[in-house]
This record gives sequence, structure tokens and C-alpha cells, in this order.
Amino acid sequence: MTRQLRGRNAAPRRSAAQLSRGRAWWALLFIGPAGLGLVVFYLWPIIRGIYLSFQDVGPFGGETFVGIDNFVEVFSEPDLGRALLNTLLYAVICLIGIPVAMIVAVLINTKGLKGRSLFRVLFFLPVVTMPVAVALVWRLLLNVDYGVLNLSLRAIGLPGVAWLSTPVVNMVVIAIVGIWMGLGTQIIIFTAGLQGIPDTLIEAAELDGAGPVRRFVSVIVPLLSPTTFLLSVLSVIASMQVFDLIFLMIDPNNPAQSQSQSLVSLFYTRGFLQHDLGAAAAIACVLLAIILVLSAIQFRLQRRWVHYE
Amino acid sequence: MSEPTSVMTRERASVTVREPAPVATPRRTGRAPGKPLFWVYVLLILGSAVMVFPFIWEVLTSLKTLSGASSVPPQIIPDPFTTRAYTKVFDTLPFWNLLGNSILLTVIRTLGQVLLCTMAGYGFARFHFRGKNVLFIAFLAVLMVPGQLFLLPQYEIIREMGLLGTIPGIALPGLFSVFGTFLLRQFFQTLPMELEEAARLDGANEWQIFWRVMLPLAKPGIIALTLLTALWSWNDFLWPLVVSGNVNSMPLSVGLSLLTDLRLRDDALLMAGALLSSLPMIAVFLVLQRQFIQGIAFTGTKG
Amino acid sequence: MAAALALAGCSSSGGQDGPTTLNYTIWDQNQEPALREVADEFEAQNPNVDVEITVIPSKDYWTKIQTQMSAGTGPDVFWVNGPNFQLYASNGQLAPLDDTGIEAGDYPDSLVDLYTYDGSLYGAPKDFDTIGVYYNKALFDEAGLEYPAAGWTWADFQNAAQKISDPAKGVYGTAAAPYGQMTYYNTILQAGGEVISEDGTTSGYDTPEAAEGVQFWADLIANGSSPTLQQLTDTWPGDTFSSGKMGMFLDGSWAAGTYSAAEAIADVIGVAPLPIGPTGENTSVVHGLANAVSAKSENLDVAKEFAVFLSGEEAAEIQAKTATVIPAFNGTQQAWVDALSTIDAQIFLDAVETGAPLPISKNTTAWVPVEEDYIKQILSGQLDTETGLKELAAEMNDLLAKE
Repeated sequence: MTRQLRGRNAAPRRSAAQLSRGRAWWALLFIGPAGLGLVVFYLWPIIRGIYLSFQDVGPFGGETFVGIDNFVEVFSEPDLGRALLNTLLYAVICLIGIPVAMIVAVLINTKGLKGRSLFRVLFFLPVVTMPVAVALVWRLLLNVDYGVLNLSLRAIGLPGVAWLSTPVVNMVVIAIVGIWMGLGTQIIIFTAGLQGIPDTLIEAAELDGAGPVRRFVSVIVPLLSPTTFLLSVLSVIASMQVFDLIFLMIDPNNPAQSQSQSLVSLFYTRGFLQHDLGAAAAIACVLLAIILVLSAIQFRLQRRWVHYE
Repeated sequence: MSEPTSVMTRERASVTVREPAPVATPRRTGRAPGKPLFWVYVLLILGSAVMVFPFIWEVLTSLKTLSGASSVPPQIIPDPFTTRAYTKVFDTLPFWNLLGNSILLTVIRTLGQVLLCTMAGYGFARFHFRGKNVLFIAFLAVLMVPGQLFLLPQYEIIREMGLLGTIPGIALPGLFSVFGTFLLRQFFQTLPMELEEAARLDGANEWQIFWRVMLPLAKPGIIALTLLTALWSWNDFLWPLVVSGNVNSMPLSVGLSLLTDLRLRDDALLMAGALLSSLPMIAVFLVLQRQFIQGIAFTGTKG
Repeated sequence: MAAALALAGCSSSGGQDGPTTLNYTIWDQNQEPALREVADEFEAQNPNVDVEITVIPSKDYWTKIQTQMSAGTGPDVFWVNGPNFQLYASNGQLAPLDDTGIEAGDYPDSLVDLYTYDGSLYGAPKDFDTIGVYYNKALFDEAGLEYPAAGWTWADFQNAAQKISDPAKGVYGTAAAPYGQMTYYNTILQAGGEVISEDGTTSGYDTPEAAEGVQFWADLIANGSSPTLQQLTDTWPGDTFSSGKMGMFLDGSWAAGTYSAAEAIADVIGVAPLPIGPTGENTSVVHGLANAVSAKSENLDVAKEFAVFLSGEEAAEIQAKTATVIPAFNGTQQAWVDALSTIDAQIFLDAVETGAPLPISKNTTAWVPVEEDYIKQILSGQLDTETGLKELAAEMNDLLAKE
């Protein structure tokens, strides 16, 4: 597409236009190295993955074209529906983290608070911790026999719960660990959003006699809506791809293992444990379609719903 | 010109991340901190306790004996207090090897990615050429794809290059990042053109403009990307698991899972290993916390 | 930068002058020291060879080997087990070892059969294992019971398990671990059933005998003699047994060294043969690992030589002394028994005589997850035994038909 020399940037761009032939080479220099890598390591794999979803792949390679058989097979098994439900459940639970993060961000930004940076560090600590380590620690806390959580429950006379080996319950628990891991990031992004709220607005509400809760509900929440929206979208898209935590917290010998798969866990199981790459690629394509739909909805809503000043 | 990509990119919210961002400057209003502040402290202390308790338990457990770690009722304070679990980590794992690999991988990946993404981000922000938008949208599509999908094709490519089981082989795909390119492009787009023009009139070529004029201005974006890449690289698990052939190229995250494979589970050992593996990154965070927090805030407002 | 890396990588393949490097991949860290010793010995005899040993966590082992082999970059020599062997052999991934001078007569027949495919030997038998009952004498004394001994029956086992259990104290009689080889495969065989038909084409789960063998364990959980399945997930029963809180635990001979050295039970540990089931037999599953050579190894001859050396007499003796696994090389097993002086390890060798091979088919790993899934649902009370096993048999037959 040719550049049009109109509008705001006409003046600076005119001089650039004379250089445009030379500049194309410069553009290649700047974009080339990264662009080549992205094409080879990211774009090509997507194409290959989509191609594989129409192939039957032998356990050690060897591909034959089977049309949509993989998709038919994947959709006819109950596994996909269950994985989809699990993933949605996980995504929904994870959204609870967002209001929590908003409240904590507002609390941390209270005027006159001492120890602000210490609180911020404490809430952020899980973000920088290795997921493998997080999984190990939580598995110990949640152990059915000697985990702190169950021992505390028993101490007050309640029965313990098999947190990680009860279907549904374990997805909720893992989602809570996911929230715990991601809360720090969300708090910081909300904090950045809070900085964009002019003090005058809050003070005006204060003068009107609104208490802190009232100010929060009627001034801060609406003004943070762009941030809330952004974080919700990012959270859902990330949740759709949950794998690490489930992989690390639910052992193959867990009685609920087959009922606790996310879409990506199912992809991994079919592709790497049951050696059916074609079916795995089909699952990945389904996930890709879901994420694309979600993103499309996001762009539409964003233009309509979120108002920037 | 109407840029189709503007549909794809988020309009910037009217948030300026000041540098250095003093997050919500507390202004003394002269009002004596009253009851609300008391409740704020209560809530924050409770919340922090939930965030920190797992870490405290991890440290305590790592100092217990084999049976002390799983006793009922639980030992709160290790009794007897012992550092045998740490000794055992060093006996069981070639810890220094793994640590060296993790550091090397993180450094290679971070430096490479930041350089390449900065250049590409600059290229996309400041140059115009045929097919630019098509290329950019194609790259954006990558962000929508679950990472596991790349595993096998990337593995095939690394094999073709003969780099399996080597540090460069593990680091290579991570040198390139759509996210990073996108982030820096957003940043360069917000910088004023005048500086560039002035430098051009002084006879600087494009590389000099980029290197001397633009790069210093992009520092917040670069720092953000550096820290995030380092964090992801350090914690990466599945890719190095599949590609690293042996201890010579295995990072800590993978080595740690070897501990879970011993015939008798030793919770104290697991906690000691988990702690030792997470500690380097936590230490870096504590030293550079302001940069980390700014980096995250930056991606949140520019992403 | 990327280009430079790629160029540097082009010359990294083997076959230049200088030493030949062999990669040997295993999944058990406990055995690495002994195998390192064996590899050093091999290097001493072949100065031009350099052996690298890679340990992969067992839960990731097959994922990784599979990925590597698909890409043609697998290890030169690696461990295979029964469930995965045929998949690899039938897909041309392994090099036949018939021309290496390896003597089938040096190994137990059952292992030679296990690792023979289409008339060729594709795995050099490394070790074998049988299942026995590890028990805690102190808990038997406390319950006023006689120690288990050859000739005891299912009823004796159930009775002891129930007497020893005291869930309030966190003490259990035994563990209904959902691992076929250690538990229900044995009881199914002892009840006269089979997991899979001899030719590996049909499931044996839809018979009353199979149901009886599975029900044996479901009952133990139901009456509190065993922890629930959820508890077994979070706490490996071997750990519970090692900490002195379990009366009896069925486990393989491979664990003998670990348990007899476990601090809390070292002085009170005993081992007994499996109890006799309804058929009057106390059949144990017999299984063992083999060292296999990748068909794609760049140093095929040296790799074969090393695999045979790994399964030879010298290597067997080095391994036997460490009390990890029973070496497969005939005549070296006594060293393993001697190394385990505190228990009657002989029972594991005797179990071979009356044992049965581990049930496998061409693509065992396709149906094992399905099997485990159903068994877990039965043992945790979500499904009744009869119905669950009928469904399992149907699904398993579908999968077997695809092989």
C-alpha cells in the first residue's frame, strides 16, 4: 500500500518520502532478523499445526491425509466436552481475581499508608516464583493427610477434603492457585490505572460527603473500567491456555486425572502420551478458533463499550 | 492514512506512566488518619498473610527431618532443626550445573530477544513498506495461539539445525517474540518525530538515529521487556524439558522435577529444592523491584 | 546471530575423528551410580568411546523419548519396558540384537520372550522384577498376628489388613494402590482371570474372575483397611509404609533396597510371597527392563556392543551389589539376595517360577490409561465393579482392534 502524504504527519513525512527507497532497505535491516525468526519459529509452526490436523500421524512420524477425520474423532469423544467445561470453569474462577486485585490496588494506594512498598512486594512475590516450585509448595499445603489446610480444618472439627483428587473441586483449587500467582501483576496494572484518575474527581466526591466505600463504587470502579476490561480479556485468553499448573499439580496417578484436563492438557495427552498427533493438532485448532472468537468479541466490545477520555 | 492496524491495537488509555512512576503519591491532606486507615491495614495484613504463608511454610518445611515434614499434627517450628535437606539437594542434583544453565539460558534469551524486538519494534513503528500491515497482522495472530502448539514443529526445526540438547537450541526460539516486538512498536509510536528529523538534518543515518537517539528514549520499554523475558525464561518448563538432552543443558526448572522422582518422597527436600530454584529470581526482583513494577505497569497500559 | 548459531550447529553431528559419544538414557536416578560404574568399565575397555548417561524423570520419559525418536534424534541406547516395547519394535525404531553374540540362554525365558518381536531379539534383558508383600513386624506384633509366610491366603491377608488398620492413628493395614503391576494384575491372575488374552487381541476384563480380582482391592478400601484413593494420590503409599504406618504393602523387588534402608522401618521390615488366591495360586506378575538400541543410532555397532555389555555378567554383578534391581543375567541374582541381608529377598526370585508375564499388546500405552481410569473410578466408589469392568472391556477391545 502506498503512503499518502496527507493529514497530521505530512510535514515530517515528506522528507521521509524522498528517502523511501533507501528506507525500505533500512526497514529490512531492522525487521529482518526478528521477522525471519518469527516466521520460522512461530508462523511456520502454526501452518504446520493446522496441516497436521488433517493428517493421520504415526507414532513415529509418517503422515497420511485423512480430511476431517481427526475433528470428527475429537468431537465424538466425551473428553473434549469435559476439557472445554473444565477450561471454562477455570477461566470463570480466575476472573474472581480481578475485583480482588482492584480492591487491593485501591487499599495499597490509600493516602498516608505506611509500608506501601512492602505490601506491594508481598503481593508480587508469587509472580516471580518458578511455577514448578509453586506447584510443589501448594501440593504440600493441600495434601489430604498432612497438609496444613486439612489439618486446620480437622482441628476445628470439620472433615478434610481431597483437594486435588476430587473432580471439579481440584479445578477450583488450581484456579485459586492461579489467582494467587497472578494477583500481583493485576494489582500493579490497576495501580497504573488509578494514577490516571484525577484527584479532583475523588476530592469532589469527598466534598459531597461520599464515604470511602461510596467513592470506590461510584467513582473508582467506573473510571477503572478500561483496565478492568483489558485485564478480564487477558485473563480469559490466558485461562483458555492453562496447562502448566494442571500438569504439575495433578499426577498421572491421580484418580481424577482424566476428569481434570484442560484443553491444552488434552492436547498434550493426545499428542505426547497417546501418540496421536493428528488428533492433538485438531484439538489445538479448536482452541485456536475459540481464542480467535474471544478476541474478535473483545475488539468489537472495546470500541463500543470502553470510553477513554 | 488510515492504518488498519489501529483496529488491532488498543488505543492507549490516558495513563501516562511517569518516570520514575511514584505510584499514587500520598499527599498529606492534614486529615488525621482515622478509622478507614485502620481497616485498610487490617485487610492488607490479612491479604499479605495469605500471599506469604506458602513461602513461610516452604522455608519451615525445608528445615525439617524426613518424618517431621509430614507429621500429624504438623510441626510448626522444625524440631529438630536441620539443614540436611539442603545438603541432599546438592547430593542429588548437579545444582551448580543446573544453575549455570539457567543463568546462561536466561542471559542469552533476554539479551537476544530485547535487541531483536527493539529493532523490529522500531522498524514497524517508523518505517513504511509494502506488506507491512499484512506481516504485522500475521505476527499478531501468533499471540492468539497456545504455546504448546509450537512445541513439535519447533522441536523439528531445532533438530534440523543439530542443536538438540544444547543451550543455543533451548534458547533459540525464545530469541524471537511477537509480544516484545508489539510492545516496543507501541512505545516507539508514541515518541515524537521531531527528534528523528533533527538528527537526520545533522546527517545521521538510520542506524545512528536508532542507536543514539531513539534507544535511550525507549529505556522504560526495554527495561520492561528485559525483566519480563528474564522471568519467563527462568521459569520456562515444558520446552526445555523436551529439548534439553541431559544435565549439560538442563535448566533448574527441569532439574527440580527430578527431585519429585525419587522413590521415597521427601517433602523437606522438595521444599529446599523449590526454594533454591526460585531464590535467584526472587533476589533479582527484590533488588530491581521498582523496575519490575514499572515494567508490568508499562505492559498493562501499552499492551 | 541466529544464522551464526545455525552454522555452528551444522558440524555438531558425530562421526568425526575423536571419541565416539554414546548417549544412554534411563529413568531411575537410584540406578545411575551403578550404571555409571558399568559405563566407566566399558570406556576402559573401549578407550575411544565416551558414554553419557541421561536421567529423565519417569513421568516424562516416554514423552521425551517418543519426541526424540520421531525426530530421529533419540539416544543410542535406552531403557525399554514391556508396555512400550512392541510399539517401538513394530515401528522399526529398534535395532535387532541377534547378530551381537548375545545368548538367549543367559536370561530368564519370560524376558527373552517379552523382548522378542517377529522372531528377533530387540532388547537385551537388563533386570527382572516380581511382586512381593513387604510387611512391618512391629505392627503385626501390636495386632497380635503371626507374620505372613509362604502358603498364606487372601483371607489371611484381608484379616491382617483389617486388624492392623487404625485410621484414627493414621495407620493402615495395606494400600489398594491403583497400579496394575503391583496390585490388581496379580489378584486377577490369582482369581483365574486375565487382563488381556494371550495373543494380546482381546480384553479379559469382562469375566467374573477379573471382577473378583479387582473387587478384592475395592473391599479393602471400603472397610477401611486401605487409605482412600484420594489419600493414595497425595501420599505415595510406599512413603506411608516407610514411615512405619502401614502393615503390608505390595511392591516390586526393585523397591527392596529402598525399604530395607528406610530409617523408620529398617529393623522391623519383612517380606513374604503373595497370598494364595481362589485358584490356589499366588501368581505374581513378572516383568523386567531391557537395554534397547535405537535403529537410528549413528554409531550402531558400538551402541549394540554397549547394550550387550550393559546386560552382560560383569554389569549384572556391579548392579546386584547395589541392591537396586535383580539382574537378569542368570547366576548373578544371588549377589542381589546377599546384598539385602536384612530381608528374605529369595522370595522374589522364587516368584518367577509361578509368575506370569506382564500383560501387553502392540500398543499397550493406548489402553493402559483407559484401564487405569476405570479402575480408579471403581476403587474410589464412583462405579460399581461389574459395570465398570464391562465398559472398560468394551473400550479396551475397541482400542485393541485398532492396533
